[in-house]
Amino acid sequence: MAGINAARRTQGQFEAIARVRWQLFANSLRTMRGRLELVARGFMFLGFAMLGFAGFAALGFATWYLTSHGKVAFLAALFWPIFLLWQLFPIVATAFSENVDSSNLLRFPLTRRSYFFVRIIFGSLEPATAIGILWTLGVAVGVAVSSPSLIFAAALTSFVFMGLNILLGRMIYAWVERWLAQRRTRELLGIVLFVFLISFQALGPLISHFGERSQPALTQFSRQALLIQRFSPPGLAADSIASAFHGNYLRSLGSVALQVFYVVVILWLLNLRLRAQFRGENLGESAARAIKPIGKQQATSSWDIPGVPGPISAIVEKEFHYLSRSGPMLFTFVMPMVILLIFRFGAGSGGARGGLLARATDLAFPVGAAYTLLILTNLMYNSFGGDGVGVQMFFLSPVRFREILMGKNLAHSLVMAIEMILVWLTVCLVYRPPSTAITLATICGVAFALLVSLSAGDYMSMYSPKKIDYAVFGRQRASGATAFASLGIQTAVLGLCALGLMVGRAYGRIWIATLIFLFLTVIATVGYATVLNRVDAVALKRRETITAELSRA
Amino acid sequence: MSTSSTVASPAIATEHLTRRFGELTAVQDVNLRVAPGQFFGFLGPNGAGKSTTIKMLTGLLAPTSGRMQILGTDFVENPVEVKRQIGVVPEGMALFGRLTGSEYLNFVGRMYGLDRATAAKRSQELLDFMQLADQPKALVTDYSHGMQKKLALAAAVIHGPKILFLDEPFEGVDAVASNTLKAMLQSMIARGATIFLTSHVLEIVERLCSHVAIIHRGQLVAQGSLEELRAGVEAQSAAALIASGTAPDEQPIAGEKLTLEQIFLRVVGGTRRIEQELSWLG
Repeated sequence: MAGINAARRTQGQFEAIARVRWQLFANSLRTMRGRLELVARGFMFLGFAMLGFAGFAALGFATWYLTSHGKVAFLAALFWPIFLLWQLFPIVATAFSENVDSSNLLRFPLTRRSYFFVRIIFGSLEPATAIGILWTLGVAVGVAVSSPSLIFAAALTSFVFMGLNILLGRMIYAWVERWLAQRRTRELLGIVLFVFLISFQALGPLISHFGERSQPALTQFSRQALLIQRFSPPGLAADSIASAFHGNYLRSLGSVALQVFYVVVILWLLNLRLRAQFRGENLGESAARAIKPIGKQQATSSWDIPGVPGPISAIVEKEFHYLSRSGPMLFTFVMPMVILLIFRFGAGSGGARGGLLARATDLAFPVGAAYTLLILTNLMYNSFGGDGVGVQMFFLSPVRFREILMGKNLAHSLVMAIEMILVWLTVCLVYRPPSTAITLATICGVAFALLVSLSAGDYMSMYSPKKIDYAVFGRQRASGATAFASLGIQTAVLGLCALGLMVGRAYGRIWIATLIFLFLTVIATVGYATVLNRVDAVALKRRETITAELSRA
Repeated sequence: MSTSSTVASPAIATEHLTRRFGELTAVQDVNLRVAPGQFFGFLGPNGAGKSTTIKMLTGLLAPTSGRMQILGTDFVENPVEVKRQIGVVPEGMALFGRLTGSEYLNFVGRMYGLDRATAAKRSQELLDFMQLADQPKALVTDYSHGMQKKLALAAAVIHGPKILFLDEPFEGVDAVASNTLKAMLQSMIARGATIFLTSHVLEIVERLCSHVAIIHRGQLVAQGSLEELRAGVEAQSAAALIASGTAPDEQPIAGEKLTLEQIFLRVVGGTRRIEQELSWLG
């Protein structure tokens, strides 16, 4: 009887959660902003649907081709992109990914099991999951169409693969969020990444050495890598289908069983985190400090940036404090370097001679810079998102909004500059030093794109602000309208930059691109100045909406 | 009933200050006069329009109509000049959670135009005074509610404002923190500053404030010194007693003065019967 009551109570709680989410959505449509948000989400949904179905068709066809021609050994090459997309998309495309933050449900009498399922189910409602499922289904359908006898193996494998990916994503998020919540672990991560990047300095010549002189050693290395790959989730999924194809059903089931084992391990690790959250874990840093002897707070001097007025310096300093204390942000800032590494050594590398960018190394720096600009979208297009209720301070202070936004823009530009230096260093280490012409062209292109993004971002920050917590990982993003607008603007701007570079490359004179970008930068500067001249009026007009939106609990 | 003090050049003056939210008129025709150096309490029941008024007076909300002058300067025409001279602890405290206390105070100081050295010196003094100096690296988000209130007050005074606006400064604050806040406010008054405060803790208002205004359903229903309000209410009660032959619910014991709470309840008609017994409680 008690069990039935508990089940009913849990069901009631799930229904209540679903209903409240629906009511929140329905209530949001009462405002024009909410309706615009719905339209923006509709467009994004279309975009993701196209990506999902295009992948479904492409992977389905590729699987059908491989299976029909007996080349099932290559199926892993299809599972890997799905796996990488599933796990990296939420980090790479933070502006378009959002997980519902269900941790605030803990104040209600939810059982641990209910909380666990709510976190899994609501946490999985994101584009990466939808696209990943569609792509995996594409593979399953491809197998089933070419060999109907493999339907069961394909269905079972796909099901387990999907479950593993969903859980793995949640588990990684939960643990990364935990690690990055503490300053010490953030610093440790920074050191690890630094060492990681430096190690590539040695790896490049090593690969050249093996590539040119020691083919057998390379072959042996590849064999070992393939062996390890076989035990990875994509490798196991592929092996399961391939074994069934060859009639080795026992091995096929073994591969599935190993995946299930991974699922169990992931569930265990995830459960550790969620159990801690359920018990009221505080990810703040004060808990860790509480055991230390209490010292006296010494007020430190604020920054003084030469030639920059005091209030603007203060805003820059505040932004840097915020960013340096945000694990998720720091993690995002590392992504351009990771992407460059993936392009160099990852999927599509075609062996040790390099990946997509390795064949056009002169594009590595522009590509890295363009991606850096994309990852700053959340910051630039939602400048006040992290301030929360603190935004009132800006309205109360005797500082014009023009200066406040200049401070924010300066901080974001400095982040961009630092990122550009890191990207340039990574390109130098992993590819080869970009030519002066490409470096100059990229800097000019970025100047243009940055000015456009800052101009548009300043407007969007006031017209469509959304509160975000820099401390939590992957559960929040800018509003749908902002994400949609930024996507359009970034596509147009980066498209123009790409066109400029293509023209320069076509004529063998990169300075043409530099000239084009310089010209565009001048226009963008005028536009930026115009925006700055208008922000005070906009801020005054929209102060109530901005403060209300950012002060939400 | 409205009794107003005659003040030559008010620190705060509003004329027909009105704010509408669509159909709802939150604040209507409010004419406030606060003299320099006054400790002014602005009272009203929940939803009466206190926070809306204070938001308009501090620039967080635009009035639909009417005028506001702070220290003789029109707020709408010269907001930056006015903001330089006022300090505010708004409803949400306006803190930046992911800064330390020291960083936040330095930040606010710089925003109000203090140079680095002055901002750092005053931050240190304020942290010491507010007893916030013993957790040097704690982020504001990890502060207790009382500590956040103290920090918000410290931030509001770091530039030495001539007028201080406080929206519920004692809400959720323990007795120790409350004492610290009161000590600071009284020392500011002693030095000639003007304080405009809203609070639901009427005992504190009665103890601190020399003048009070009461807003009810968006309209100013009383304004003046405590003595003036008391006299007004007593006169009104006497008139009601003569007219109806029944005394109001809240009567002072013979020989004692009306408390602010009694005045407040009389003015806003605050006694309410529980219509329904919540039988399922307890």
